[in-house]
Amino acid sequence: MATQIRGPLLNPILVREARTRMRGFRPYLILTIFLLLLILSAFGIYQYMVFQARTGMVVLSSHIGQALFRGLAFTEMFFIVLVAPILTSGAISGERERLTYDMLLATPLRPGQMLAGKLIGALSYLLLLIVASIPVFSTVLIFGGVELRTLVWVILLLGSAALFFGTIGLFCSSLFGRTTPATIASYVVVLILCGVPLLIASIWPQFSNPMGQSPPPWLLYLNPFSAIVAVTTVTPTTAQPDVPFFSPSDPFMVVPFLSQFSVGVVRYAPEGPVLMPVYRATLLGFWLGTFVLLWFSSHLALPARRWRPRWSDLGFIAVIGAIALFIWMRIEWWWIVPPVDPWLMPPEPMPVPIEPAPLP
Amino acid sequence: MTLAIETIDLTHRYKKLVALDRLHLRVEQGCIYGFIGPNGAGKTTTLRILAGLLTPTKGEVRLLGERLTTRAAQRLVGYMPDFFGVYDDLRVWEYLDFFARCYGLRGARLRQVVDELLDLVDLAGKRDAFVQTLSRGMQQRLCLAHALVHDPPILLLDEPASGLDPRARVELRELLRTLRDMGKTIMLSSHILSELAEVCDAIGIIDHGRMVISGPLAEVQQQIATGARARLRIARESDVVLALALLQRQPLVSAVGAAPADPRSLVIDFSEPLDEEQCAAILAELVKAGVAVSEFSARSENLEELFLRLTASVGQLDGQAAAVGANAGNTASVRR
Repeated sequence: MATQIRGPLLNPILVREARTRMRGFRPYLILTIFLLLLILSAFGIYQYMVFQARTGMVVLSSHIGQALFRGLAFTEMFFIVLVAPILTSGAISGERERLTYDMLLATPLRPGQMLAGKLIGALSYLLLLIVASIPVFSTVLIFGGVELRTLVWVILLLGSAALFFGTIGLFCSSLFGRTTPATIASYVVVLILCGVPLLIASIWPQFSNPMGQSPPPWLLYLNPFSAIVAVTTVTPTTAQPDVPFFSPSDPFMVVPFLSQFSVGVVRYAPEGPVLMPVYRATLLGFWLGTFVLLWFSSHLALPARRWRPRWSDLGFIAVIGAIALFIWMRIEWWWIVPPVDPWLMPPEPMPVPIEPAPLP
Repeated sequence: MTLAIETIDLTHRYKKLVALDRLHLRVEQGCIYGFIGPNGAGKTTTLRILAGLLTPTKGEVRLLGERLTTRAAQRLVGYMPDFFGVYDDLRVWEYLDFFARCYGLRGARLRQVVDELLDLVDLAGKRDAFVQTLSRGMQQRLCLAHALVHDPPILLLDEPASGLDPRARVELRELLRTLRDMGKTIMLSSHILSELAEVCDAIGIIDHGRMVISGPLAEVQQQIATGARARLRIARESDVVLALALLQRQPLVSAVGAAPADPRSLVIDFSEPLDEEQCAAILAELVKAGVAVSEFSARSENLEELFLRLTASVGQLDGQAAAVGANAGNTASVRR
């Protein structure tokens, strides 16, 4: 008689991913390219800062540290956004193409377990990339200038972005039967999330009414690059209206392409430039998006009766509800209210002297 | 004894297409049941429903007397699909280890099951080889082993012999017999009918989603095909006309004709099965009339001819709403 079926102790998909993820030359090639990219970025930024110093700019050690940290965090985010969807876009569609999906469905493995195994497998590889980049990142320690708080935020953002963009690939993989359309679709979503908001933000002042207004921060909530720029930009500790907000040694301001990622993150108020903390909303948006996409994927991965309610839906609803409640409770912290552009502020009314009424 | 597989009025529709039309299927425990049908007849749909991968539009399925649920199918059934895939980047033992883990096996039991199955399918020597390096026959056996990791009493094999060379087919046949001896009920679909005839205890022929005939192989062949056709060879060409005239007068003969390649060979079709005495009487009459008969053989239809005849007649009968009961117990039943 058949063995009584128990739940697996360890997710079998995860065990398989752990066994096979590093097989073949591809994982090592990706790792090598990633590390080379980081090293080249670090070297380029350092050379640029040295060049700045040679041209007579005041470049402090902390400036170099901050610029290096920012550049490396940006490069790492760029790589995660690029690689995470690829790692997961073949998760379900690949099983369908390989004709193993029916065999998997015939086992007691649930679609949720399959998705979780695939996602964690992909994320563990991304984690390996992040861990492998620690030696390159540690060059920042030589120069200093980075707060622990910033480091924690960057790690949180990188981890959440890996989760979110990995889930986008997973969702597309569940939606499409084949891996190529799934990969293309996930990149279209990535482009929409990363490129379109920046494009709109850059042309916003020309099309706003009245013209010249700063773009609203919500436009950049789900943009990982804006979040990285916002979290790594060093704000002056004291209000110094005479000192420029960005140091000329900051590569984001000077390099024309990279400066585009700052659009919308900085507002100019009467009291000086103000940094929009859009990364808070980015983090929550990524978490919410991850769970919503996972919920859709777990239904799309089913072969039949996809949208019939299941008990596991309650878990998803609970998590999504908890995130929504958390957002609601800290709405003022999350909902970033930008200051009004100075030129839009109504001029202060001039005091009109009131002449005493002539005595009769 | 409780039936291993029983379907009652099983119907499945893919939008407007009726894939299964009130299918009645009864498979006894411990037998190898061959499921035959032309492409699109509904074989794979039936097997997918039995494996819990499809929910039928209508009807009932029982496995070992238990009403089919996804959970019951996962526990009771081992399924090997028609076009199965393998994980190329896994080693042979890892492949079985993966599926064993899916069924919750762990620790020493997990290792034991993997080792036993590798021995059973004769792949112990390839334990550490990558799956992609195995031959098609070995991959087929490995896939069969994956369906056995949870020791299911019922095995559903969709076209297990397709793409195999003769040696691999023989090996597979032996393996199926071993599994039957272990008490497993095996239901397999195939297009290679000679293959099924050699290994199956019972067969069912399905066409257009309906069961045409089902029952023990010997009974099906006896009931449908015994003596329905005979071959006669005449020594002298001059006797052929006389023989034709005599045979056409026989009440049981429905058609008689000379083979185009050999005018002295006559093929006689009978309207109903003949027993040995009837055959002897016809032969005696021919000899008495002076026809020099050099060879007379009443021939049973082989499975292939039976399949072609039955599926052709179903095509003609298509549209009639007669429900067909199929009984794999003592009597074979035919849809007429």
